[in-house]
Amino acid sequence: MGYVGKGVPSLTNTRLVAGRGQFVDDIALPDMTHVAVLRSPYAHARIRSIDTSAAESLPGVIHVITGDEVKANMNAIPETYDTGAVGAKGVKWYALCLDRARYVGEAVAAVVAEDKFAAYEARDLIEVDYEELPVVADPEAAMSDDAPLVEPDWGDNIMATRDITLGDPDAAFAEADGVATGSVRSSRITGSAIEPRGCMASYDPYDDQLTFWDSTQNPHPLRQYLAGTLGVPDTSIRVIQPHVGGAFGLKMPTFQEEPLVAYLARKLGRPVKWIEERTENFQTGGHARDTRFRYDVAYKDDGEVTGIRLEVLADVGAPTALCGWGMSFVTWYCLPCVYKIPNSETHLRSVVTNKCPWNAYRGYGKDAASFLMDRIMDHVARETGLPRADVRFKNFIPADEFPYPQVSGAMLDSGNYAAALEKVLDMVGYDDFPRQQEEALAEGRYLGLGIGQELIPEGCSMPGSLILNGSDGVEVRVSPTGDVTALTGITSPGSGNETGIAQIVADGLGCELSRVRVIQGDTESCPWGFGNYSARSIIIGGSAAQLAAGDIREKMALVAGRMLEADPADLEFSEGNVTVKGTPGQAVSFDDVASDVYRNPHGANMEETEPALEATRHFKIGNVYHQPEKQGRFSAYPSWPNGAAACIVEVDPETGQIEILKYCMVHDAGTIVNPLLADANLHGGIAQGLGAALYEQIVYDEAAQPLTATFMDYTIPTAVEIPRMELAHQETPTPFTPLGTKGVGESGVGAPLGALCNAVEDAFPDLDITLNEVPLTPSRVWSAIQEAKTGAPEREAVSR
Amino acid sequence: MKLPISIAINGQTRSLEIDTRLTLVALVREELGLTGTHVGCTTGNCGACTVLLDGDTVKSCCVLAADVDGQEITTIEAFSTGASTLHPIQQAFADNQGLQCGFCTPGMVLSTHYLLGQNPSPTEADIRHGISGNLCRCTGYQMIVDSVLDAAQRARESAPSASGAAE
Ligand code: FES
Ligand code: FES
Repeated sequence: MGYVGKGVPSLTNTRLVAGRGQFVDDIALPDMTHVAVLRSPYAHARIRSIDTSAAESLPGVIHVITGDEVKANMNAIPETYDTGAVGAKGVKWYALCLDRARYVGEAVAAVVAEDKFAAYEARDLIEVDYEELPVVADPEAAMSDDAPLVEPDWGDNIMATRDITLGDPDAAFAEADGVATGSVRSSRITGSAIEPRGCMASYDPYDDQLTFWDSTQNPHPLRQYLAGTLGVPDTSIRVIQPHVGGAFGLKMPTFQEEPLVAYLARKLGRPVKWIEERTENFQTGGHARDTRFRYDVAYKDDGEVTGIRLEVLADVGAPTALCGWGMSFVTWYCLPCVYKIPNSETHLRSVVTNKCPWNAYRGYGKDAASFLMDRIMDHVARETGLPRADVRFKNFIPADEFPYPQVSGAMLDSGNYAAALEKVLDMVGYDDFPRQQEEALAEGRYLGLGIGQELIPEGCSMPGSLILNGSDGVEVRVSPTGDVTALTGITSPGSGNETGIAQIVADGLGCELSRVRVIQGDTESCPWGFGNYSARSIIIGGSAAQLAAGDIREKMALVAGRMLEADPADLEFSEGNVTVKGTPGQAVSFDDVASDVYRNPHGANMEETEPALEATRHFKIGNVYHQPEKQGRFSAYPSWPNGAAACIVEVDPETGQIEILKYCMVHDAGTIVNPLLADANLHGGIAQGLGAALYEQIVYDEAAQPLTATFMDYTIPTAVEIPRMELAHQETPTPFTPLGTKGVGESGVGAPLGALCNAVEDAFPDLDITLNEVPLTPSRVWSAIQEAKTGAPEREAVSR
Repeated sequence: MKLPISIAINGQTRSLEIDTRLTLVALVREELGLTGTHVGCTTGNCGACTVLLDGDTVKSCCVLAADVDGQEITTIEAFSTGASTLHPIQQAFADNQGLQCGFCTPGMVLSTHYLLGQNPSPTEADIRHGISGNLCRCTGYQMIVDSVLDAAQRARESAPSASGAAE
């Protein structure tokens, strides 16, 4: 019974497979103009002067804009993440650089022209006189006393600092049977949605209305940021999200181009479109995860970890108004993840450099934390000689200790980590693997098994932020003919949450799914909401939808009860019919109830009842505590989905090439609304995790010049590299949402990092190989094998 | 510089004056308004711009419009006329959730169409190779592969005539 729990294909499939979706670049308006953005070729440079005369005189060019015009007419872009609320430093970031460029690709000037050819040609004619400034290219060097400064006003290059101690780590280390020390590094990566960024604006001066189409995840917050940058009332802007061709966090506002295009459309009175080129996306579209860790771990001979000291050093690139740097905070915030370690010390340094700023990317830093903890558990297993699964079982937070307060102040809502790991070990054939490995070895093949355990908290709610927040609205309308519309504050970048919302609403109303139409992504029609990120759409938006549908159902039951002369509590709503329990002959159709509500507001069935069937509800999720305690700790994540993965790989020792033979995951996101779409999201998350584990890395040289500019340099996996994945769900519902949903949108992305490193190490039982840095490129793997064989120092061909 | 060309687009002959700098994908999207063909890179890597040129798949961002004079171009728009007339390949993608955001999907459908034309009974490995010129960042490919397997099955089960090309 009911739609929740059913694997319904996405409601948007038909239109999209037909090629009849509407993405931002598909929108064409009469009189439309095109923008090309000139970007800094230097990682750090003062802009002495800009000569736009040649560009302006090119036929077809309408306008050339530089920082001077921006400074005179626009405000700084409001911060997406309230840096002050978490004790971090902020900057004033403008739609174009005013006098200094701080990374390659930062926007310096822009051309508006009649067509793209003229726009690009004119862009090349703009002459900028730059004075190169000293560059900060490395986060460790950035912390030295004599380092050049990315932001001269700051006095140093440290954006955020966090230091928290729990228990007595000194005593734990003194009393330990052993202490292990090491370092781990996850590489700089990017989300690479196949649709690049892009936006278009059109201004109606008679109505003072700017319509703004954007490949964005967050229409309502974006409207606030645009209004703030332009200094106009938010009611003069309507943001529309057309179909979005993938986002993964990277299309969270606000980039420089968004207010720039909005401003230009208002100024010129003509529609203005900007579509990003792939190279621009690699330079400026937001990076993630470039984090170095150091750890000391104190353990007992039985595998119990009694203390840890963890240092997190994140290279967040140049500071901007984007929320991406917050990923470094979240990495730190999750530690030590799924483990109960009574004596812990964690330190965070988020360091700025002259590189592309971070923007949110699936995993939002949780991935890197899980990676670190996997590597630590494997290290303890190596030192103690215990099986790696046993070390994890020994240290998991027990299932009966939730809600569990983690070191950072995080309040883990629920979980059963041991059950998930047990199940995945069964799926992968852990017990039988040694035999399989031995047989393969006899044939000269190197097989290894790896384990990864991820913790991916969702529903992020940060104090003071107008985007990262734990509430959202849904309006449900039932029309006089009984047709249903749900308008949501959450949006879908293609992940299918509109379908989940429709399922929840159909069940809430007791009607057919086919009646429900879902409208998203329009600030003019949809209720306030923060949009899509942090897998919040079903847990928060879905909960609001359930509340709104419940309100309408209650009114319909009241009216139907009067129509049927029955107690509303005795009514059953199902598939468009309302029946009295026990007397199935006594029935009225859903349509007739709706009709009566609208046609007879003064009728007997509507006495003392408010007219119409429309309800807007906002859901505020629990388990969030924003009032900091004495160490400054607060709870920002209500919901803690998690999973265990295990894989088997074959490694070619001659080339360092890795082939994944089997990849299994057991995932726990509480109640699953749509198992088909949940699996679809997991597949995508795992594939992105495998990409980061094996292939993907944004590379900069010593002058902070990016070397990865196209899909030829930055290689995301194709169908050939990704194996068939085996999934299983475990449902430990959270008590903090009405359905027990925990969020599934980012899951899968964290476990591949540790699992792959561990599997490759395991493929060579006779060699002492440690792989603590991803991606596991063939050269890195080959070098590690050679080093272990010969004792020669590892020759590092890839990493910088 | 302007150049006159004549093409057959989705079965219709068209004569056009084009800018010689125009790529095939820009011709299709901007001049002809067929926006189901997408642009993800313009460097020939992502496959979102895949169309059929005289029956073969090409990455239309890497073909100059001036070079297609006299040729036959088929885009995703030729594969259906409405929600109830999806091509069997499209229906297989929709039923098997072989897409999420749908940005790569038209290219995937065209590559699938070409693949099944060459090999009506592909193995999973054949399919993975057959679509390896089309990047998808959303799905992890698994449900796409399942969609292609299903599309091949449907084509084999129906009469040979019904499994033919859309063009
Ligand atoms: S747009 Fe042509 S291959 Fe990417
Ligand atoms: S479905 Fe989004 S890129 Fe393939």
